[in-house]
Amino acid sequence: MDHEAAQLEKQHVHDVYEGTAPYFNDLQSKAWPRVRQFLQEQKPGSLIADIGCGTGKYLKVNSQVYTLGCDYCRPLVEIARSRGCEVMVCDNLHLPFRDQGFDAIISIGVIHHFSTKQRRIRAIKEMARVLVPGGQLMIYVWAMEQKNRHFEKQDVLVPWNRALCSQLFSDSSQPGRKQQCGHPERSHPYHPPCSVCSCSVCFKEQGHSKRSHSMDYEPMMARACCANISEEGEEENGFYNTFGKSFRSWFFSRSLDESTLRKQAERVRPLKTTEAWANSTISIQPSRHSSLDLDRQEPLSTRQQTSDEDVFVETSQKQLEWLRAPATKKHLRGGQQREVRRNGDGNFLESTNTNANRVNAGDVEEGDPSSKILRRISAVDSTDSNPDATISVEEQQPNVLDSRALMRYYHVFREGELYGLLKENVSELHVLSSGNDHGNWCIIAEKKDNCD
Amino acid sequence: MKLLTHNLLSSHVRGVGPRGFPLRLQATEVRINPVEFNPDFVARMIPKVEWAALLEAADTVPKEPIEGYEHDEKFLRKMHHVLLEVDVLEGTLQCPESGRLFPISRGIPNMLLSDEETET
Repeated sequence: MDHEAAQLEKQHVHDVYEGTAPYFNDLQSKAWPRVRQFLQEQKPGSLIADIGCGTGKYLKVNSQVYTLGCDYCRPLVEIARSRGCEVMVCDNLHLPFRDQGFDAIISIGVIHHFSTKQRRIRAIKEMARVLVPGGQLMIYVWAMEQKNRHFEKQDVLVPWNRALCSQLFSDSSQPGRKQQCGHPERSHPYHPPCSVCSCSVCFKEQGHSKRSHSMDYEPMMARACCANISEEGEEENGFYNTFGKSFRSWFFSRSLDESTLRKQAERVRPLKTTEAWANSTISIQPSRHSSLDLDRQEPLSTRQQTSDEDVFVETSQKQLEWLRAPATKKHLRGGQQREVRRNGDGNFLESTNTNANRVNAGDVEEGDPSSKILRRISAVDSTDSNPDATISVEEQQPNVLDSRALMRYYHVFREGELYGLLKENVSELHVLSSGNDHGNWCIIAEKKDNCD
Repeated sequence: MKLLTHNLLSSHVRGVGPRGFPLRLQATEVRINPVEFNPDFVARMIPKVEWAALLEAADTVPKEPIEGYEHDEKFLRKMHHVLLEVDVLEGTLQCPESGRLFPISRGIPNMLLSDEETET
């Protein structure tokens, strides 16, 4: 199962970040205040590691400490390096550090990308290993409980709505996402269909993009302009409802962990391809709203004042305490982070996407996964215990980096889950505090003395 | 890659354990990167450094921190230079136990191992 887990993560975490890294060279997303604070509170002369540092947004927060960044994704590490950060490429599960080298470690939006509980535990244990006794570890993971978004399941594939406009207007994007697709920022959160932009399948994303991951790609598409899709502007479920029941049958309740247990029980051969497995056990988020990821962006003055920004402002007053309640209600309205496959990728969408001009040249997804998926649905429905039946349909699609098919895997955490995970499995750590911050479950834990 | 970073790195090839430290550094391209001198910062770093590993990597370093180093500006400046200003752009890091080479390119060490090398 570990192999399948690694395969899933390769396809829906690593390959996505690698493929998308080049487009976000210019983005400087803001650090989360609470994380900043944690870093700034570290003693001068501390050695700190940011495991899963992405483009390195936290690496220069505190000039009095030595912060090393590492990430699995080389292109992102290169970006961080180009900003003058000290970084390396490595694997959270096998940290290339000697024991007890670091005074503090941060893991912001990282371990929710591990697809099994065991791997998540291993990641945490690795970080604990390289911490000095008394050193602190801060972990942020995306919460399942979100005010303006509904996660069907805990194991989800979240579409990544890269603004297709970025292809057309890639050089005109300004810092702070003020202009996407060359359009002026509007104060109203809902953008009417855009007549100027010729890209017909731009994704529209309202409000802040939040990703509880260390790198923030959302800014690029925050203001994707076009809305020629008929469902645009409908009630939030408009898109989702388009596919109806057949689509929903994708949504299984089993995570990879559960699926494996079941397979073992039934002595079924393990899945051969991650794609098939993923589709049978993971929920694909229709993402009615912008994903409520960590908001790394400063609120823009011209933006519609959403309650995200209110929260952000509010948070500054509460920076010293965890928000105990779930994330404050956000008014992300009409956040239409569309399911990527709707772009006329395949049969699914022809009828609903009349203006399926593809902005991205030449990225027909090989093998037309949508139709394969359709076929697979029935297979999976009836033979979930026989995953092999679903696999023969397709091989791995090499062109999985089609911008419209970029889906990132997340295991979103329930309240208390992260805490429980540490408490029950990582005895070398003692939890100091935990809470919720902008839709993320967060924890600060300390390495106990007299261990390892 | 700075030498302070090197001081933290260890090989995680399966089975080597603590014998994977320190990595043997072979630099083929080095750059000196001026960094603002912060004596307090350097003084705090000194006790955290694995001195033997640093000696291996930079033979210009004194055999050990001198007595009263916290106030010895000359010493601190020297350590500042070695730990923070020397930047290895190209080279390799070799696991002393297994011999496995980790490349450094464009200043970035690549510490990823293959599945076979890490399998437990």
